[in-house]
Amino acid sequence: MTTSEPASYTASIPDAPITKTTETIHIELTPHTLSAQSATQFVRSPSAGATVLFIGTTRDSFNNLPVSSLSYTSYTPLAMSTLHSIAASMLKKHDLTKIAIVHKLGECPIGEESIVIAVSAPHRQAAWRAGEETLEETKKRAEIWKLERFEGGEGVWRANRDGAVGVKVEGT
Amino acid sequence: MASGKAPPEHFSILYFAAASTFTTKTAEYLPAPLDACLLFPVLEERYPGITAKVLSSCAVTVNLEYVDMDEDRVGEVVIKAGDEVAIIPPVSSG
Repeated sequence: MTTSEPASYTASIPDAPITKTTETIHIELTPHTLSAQSATQFVRSPSAGATVLFIGTTRDSFNNLPVSSLSYTSYTPLAMSTLHSIAASMLKKHDLTKIAIVHKLGECPIGEESIVIAVSAPHRQAAWRAGEETLEETKKRAEIWKLERFEGGEGVWRANRDGAVGVKVEGT
Repeated sequence: MASGKAPPEHFSILYFAAASTFTTKTAEYLPAPLDACLLFPVLEERYPGITAKVLSSCAVTVNLEYVDMDEDRVGEVVIKAGDEVAIIPPVSSG
């Protein structure tokens, strides 16, 4: 499901990063530019022989329609808890050393980072698999919503699970 | 977004993404107590058409926990005064 959105819509976005960090897990929702380097630094460890970094950036089109801007909103307390539970289960399942999941909130200029995932593990196979699975789980479950604005048009709330341009819905 | 506590005998409800578009609100207060199974009918009355266009694909949380909205579960979950309810449309992170 997606809906149209008037150009005037502004989501409620925190002014400062919201973070939850333990020795092995770093979760962050931030209005600031994402830093792949700090996520990588967090997961580095002498006991890990492999670090995998995923950087998701925003595309300039959807089904060949030019996208002029994107913004992300979130139910932050719930998204933080969901992301932490994903990270904890990945850590256990793949025997990871450390994991970091960082997501952008608010306006995200085209071509810039919207998500950064870094994982480290003793060996490469586990790190590769965990990196991919963490991204898929995050896209499926984290309570974060993307609003795409098309050039010359209104916005559309994207839904990861159908991936199609939805019907327009007018507010009451 | 409504911040702080709901007034007495009310709960707060948060609308995200398509739900906030349809209601033109990010949050409001509704009278409590309310059986969770009656939430969608109450919203349909306030926002005609919202069930088919928005709510049918949404999940619901009460105090950050997902609740089952099946009709045969009447009486199992009651939304109480001061609770925080949220309408969760299909997500789209990444």
